[in-house]
Amino acid sequence: MEGRPKDDSVLIARAQRGDTAAYEEIVQRYQQIAFRTAYVITGSSADAEDAAQEGFVKAYRALDRFRLGADLRPWLLRIVANEARNRVRSSGRRHQLELRLTEGFRPGDAAPSPEAVAVAADERRRLLAMVNALSHEDRLVIASRYFLELSGEETAAALGIAEGTVKSRLSRALARLKARVEEAAHA
Amino acid sequence: MPDLEQQLSALAPAIEWPATPSHSWGGVQRRRSEGPRRWSIAPRLIQNRWALAAAAVLLIVATLLAYTPSREAIAGWLNLHTTILRTQNQPTPSPRPSGPLGERLGLGSPTTLKQAQGQVKWTIRVPSSLGPPDEVYLKLPPTGPTGGEVTLVYAQRPDIRASGLTGVSVLVTEARGRTNEIYFQKMLGGDATIEPVTVNGHSGYWIAGRPHNFAFTDADGNVYFDTLRLATNTLIFDDSGTIVRIEGDVTKSQALEIASSLS
Repeated sequence: MEGRPKDDSVLIARAQRGDTAAYEEIVQRYQQIAFRTAYVITGSSADAEDAAQEGFVKAYRALDRFRLGADLRPWLLRIVANEARNRVRSSGRRHQLELRLTEGFRPGDAAPSPEAVAVAADERRRLLAMVNALSHEDRLVIASRYFLELSGEETAAALGIAEGTVKSRLSRALARLKARVEEAAHA
Repeated sequence: MPDLEQQLSALAPAIEWPATPSHSWGGVQRRRSEGPRRWSIAPRLIQNRWALAAAAVLLIVATLLAYTPSREAIAGWLNLHTTILRTQNQPTPSPRPSGPLGERLGLGSPTTLKQAQGQVKWTIRVPSSLGPPDEVYLKLPPTGPTGGEVTLVYAQRPDIRASGLTGVSVLVTEARGRTNEIYFQKMLGGDATIEPVTVNGHSGYWIAGRPHNFAFTDADGNVYFDTLRLATNTLIFDDSGTIVRIEGDVTKSQALEIASSLS
């Protein structure tokens, strides 16, 4: 998860006074998570780029309405995610999201045998393929919580739903994923 | 934390995300001053086309390695500027509970052949072996591809089983794509098979199984994603720049016969 230094409020206060350098620092701090959140929603890096850019522009215009002391990241993610959803809605089509694994990824906490590495990599690929095959709604909540590592509040903001709904939606999505995993294990 | 959640969390550092575009706020401001949301469209499209081309090559190589189809088949795909992917099964499209056949399948607006012909620039081909279509649908941008998409809907026909969910036996869908830039993507379930075929002298593919999704490059060069509504056997071919697909619970010979009767 991205680090969130405690001086967000300082940067916001400066940005609210018209300090664009402060806002640029905010953009640079959160552009990766904003882009990836939009990517999970749109399934398109081009649309995600547009949504993130437009989201940051709208957030800048709305800075006066941001309540000092509140958490900036979910607020930004909500705006960017809204842009991403609007983009999908207006185009009338959603790109199929296909998350992939980085080639050659090896967890750093062990020195397993090449065979074990291959088996683990295969298991990761299978699990990710099952996530990819879930419905958009299930995939979105799982990707938000586990792959983007968003908090409950941030996931709610990204999905445009109440935080309590995140829990129930996540629970159902995990149950469906678990059923697929077990089905594959017994196939 | 339950085991499944641990496994999902462990995937996080291994996910391959697209590179985050690096945009300074000052840069965004400058681009915005040039006009509303037009700042980086052209370079992005160019970049996307290169990215798509690179992805297509990689996917062809991956398909070769994973499924070892003949190299002639791959060469054929390249000649058609086509790539075919295999992925996990996607969810079966859920038909709507009531309404005309095409509306249940989300094919666009109901119309007639004559009206549809007035809206698109290619000559709509109709398979004489099936007789007149029971319904005709037209899907125009923004929900349809550039140039539009026409779907002919056939209810029960002799020797062709109609879907128990929708009552549709065959769908014939036509959309325009640029033949020299077609990027066609077909997502197949694990039980689906692909076979190169020739239809009236045009290269095509017979896909048996339960395919669900596909994409192609429309007349404006945009990649258009769509759903194969019946998720059943499908014949797809490039008819001189018009992508024709025939979906239904048909055999390969039935599909080829339908395709051969297009006029």
